[in-house]
Amino acid sequence: MRELFDNRTSRRLVALFVKELQQIKRNRRLVASLVFLPTVQLFLLGFALSPEVRNLRLGVVDESHTSESREIVSAFLESGSFQIKGYYESSAALARALDAGDLDAGLVVPFDFARHRARRETAGVQLLVDAVDSNTGTIAGGYAARIIAAFDRRSAQGSPPLVLGVRRPPLERASVTARVALFYNPGLRNDWFMVTGMLGVLLILNGSLVAAAAMVKEKEAGTVEQLLMTPATGTEIVIAKIAPLFLLLTLDIWLALGTGYFVFGVPVRGSLLLLFLAGLLCILAGIGIGIFIATFSESQQQAQLMGFFVNPPLALLSGAMTPVEAMPQWLQPLTYLNPVRHFAIITRGIMLKGAGLNVLYPHLLALLGFAVLLVGVSVWRFRKQF
Amino acid sequence: MRRIIAQARKELTQTFRDRLTLALALVLPLVLLALLGTAISLTVKDIPVVVQDLDQSPLSRRYVETLQTSLTFRIVSLPVAVQPPEALAASRARAAIIIPQHFERDLQRGRDTEVQWLVDASDANTANIIRASSAALTQAFLARLRPAATARPSIRAEMRFRYNPGRESEKYIGAGAFAVLFSLFPPLLSALAMSREGEQKTILQVYTSSISAHEYLFGKVLGFMVIAAAEWVLMLVLAFALFGLRFAGDPVPLLLSTVIYLFCSVSFGVMVGAAIPNQATAIQATQMGGFLLSFLQSGFIFPVANIPLGVRWISSLIPARYYIVVVRDAFFRGGGWDAVWNAPLMLALLGGVFFAVAWLRMRRMQVEA
Repeated sequence: MRELFDNRTSRRLVALFVKELQQIKRNRRLVASLVFLPTVQLFLLGFALSPEVRNLRLGVVDESHTSESREIVSAFLESGSFQIKGYYESSAALARALDAGDLDAGLVVPFDFARHRARRETAGVQLLVDAVDSNTGTIAGGYAARIIAAFDRRSAQGSPPLVLGVRRPPLERASVTARVALFYNPGLRNDWFMVTGMLGVLLILNGSLVAAAAMVKEKEAGTVEQLLMTPATGTEIVIAKIAPLFLLLTLDIWLALGTGYFVFGVPVRGSLLLLFLAGLLCILAGIGIGIFIATFSESQQQAQLMGFFVNPPLALLSGAMTPVEAMPQWLQPLTYLNPVRHFAIITRGIMLKGAGLNVLYPHLLALLGFAVLLVGVSVWRFRKQF
Repeated sequence: MRRIIAQARKELTQTFRDRLTLALALVLPLVLLALLGTAISLTVKDIPVVVQDLDQSPLSRRYVETLQTSLTFRIVSLPVAVQPPEALAASRARAAIIIPQHFERDLQRGRDTEVQWLVDASDANTANIIRASSAALTQAFLARLRPAATARPSIRAEMRFRYNPGRESEKYIGAGAFAVLFSLFPPLLSALAMSREGEQKTILQVYTSSISAHEYLFGKVLGFMVIAAAEWVLMLVLAFALFGLRFAGDPVPLLLSTVIYLFCSVSFGVMVGAAIPNQATAIQATQMGGFLLSFLQSGFIFPVANIPLGVRWISSLIPARYYIVVVRDAFFRGGGWDAVWNAPLMLALLGGVFFAVAWLRMRRMQVEA
């Protein structure tokens, strides 16, 4: 008896599954947006968001007009970080150009620069940095400080030390250097950071959008009642709806990984299988969110508009695009309630760091928890509605 | 003219009747502005680091103390069994600092020594910041070690950070978000309204009425511009309160550009809605074409100049890119017309193109219908 029952359930499921597949096959737009959009998005994201600071536009006021002042200007030029945009007559003219946004930084070499240096006194130069963009401003300031320090050292080597014959105590002779070794991403490529982070955002976003659309469609057309009149149970209907979408979305994982690997050269240093499994959990979480949204909306466009309330916070508070450490302190623990956050840690762990299950299991468990919870709650809500 | 105003009033009434759309128009932009301003930042503080002190001497502890006093780093404890690189792999820490054995002895004998910094560079920007602070911290440690004898530098650079002296990231991002969000919501509303007419075939009634295509479109654009302008005022108040933004100079360029920018983004929505008579698809198209591109290509987070040339040309077609320049000028530099004269011109050009395309599309549909 029991066997018979089981057999019937699975046959119903298969029948429903085939129906859903045929419906999707007819919906060209859905397939296109599932395959085409994520690839384009990843492509644009990786290329467009680059924090590299190069070719900063520098304006120069040289009041000194000496070989010393020209040397310091050329030190800026040789560094490769700055390009000289123009020379200005006065500090006021420089400030006007800075006001107009024509320059990123300005260097003022005062008229007594060479005289001070000849007398071996401390000579001052003035640097004006446009700090509207705080990140670029800070980096530009750091570059300038380094260039001036290097120039200082070079010119100090050329001239004999001021105090001869005094033996300094050992502690003052020795120096400490910080030797920095860059792990996992020695080329400091920001696109690696973006691509590994956005993978999860794309899976969740597309998963929720597509799932919401599919669930609402039946509701909108009023065919849900017909489905419910069949012997199939609510759970079966939902499972049959999810399964083909789930299969289609797994394609997205490979597409995104392929784009990452071939376009941006992001390596996969750990287990590809583990990454794929985590991706499946991520898709499930996305589908769960989608059905949840669908239970609150009556039409397709309502479901999509609801998505605007859910998706941006998920994407922004995940550390996918910007470091979590840069968020306000009180916000940081809350990011652990976000499945995208866990998936971003997992992708970066596996792809860049070559980490395995032994260090990533807490995040995998969290992701599993989210997937089960989200799908469970939304299926329950969906069933309760009818 | 009377017909245009009647059409605009009709759009306003219709929008105010739908509660979801109204929340979308008035509440969500404010929430997103607050969210973007607080969540997007590149200024990392309290970066977790682990320290392995192989020397355990007074001097090595002094080095660790220097670390502790900096705001950039936060030392997390390293379990005995865990090697520093493992802490990086497990994302327990962003950097591992290893102080070698004989650190103190070497220093006291006047020998140069090295402290190793292993940095997790998977986030390139943060790694850059860590690298810069590692050098600065080591310098600070040395300076404390020998306060008297630090050779006076022969060049002293006086650094002035202009316009945003505190280098507050939320001001910069907040001003950008203020501009970019108007590329999402006004076009979304107008695209929805326009495609709804196509979807529900109410557009046929418009065709049969005496209103002409351009009057109809102007009325629609005008109605949504009024909503967008109300939103703009609300957003401005929030941005002032939340991020401490103020007008740095003459606000006239901003006000004028705002009117043109709102026309531009509402027209974009009308164009999308006219081209796609299906609300769900129209939403997706606005989201991709309007918002995602504005988000990525307008210089919102990183300067436009950083985008590789092959993709950068797209940014010159994006209205938000020009408006963001005006907003930043108005709130920070105060350069006035000299700095931003070309932005309103470009916005007007783009807006004109969007409107013209919508009009042509509408005329063609009329012929087909």
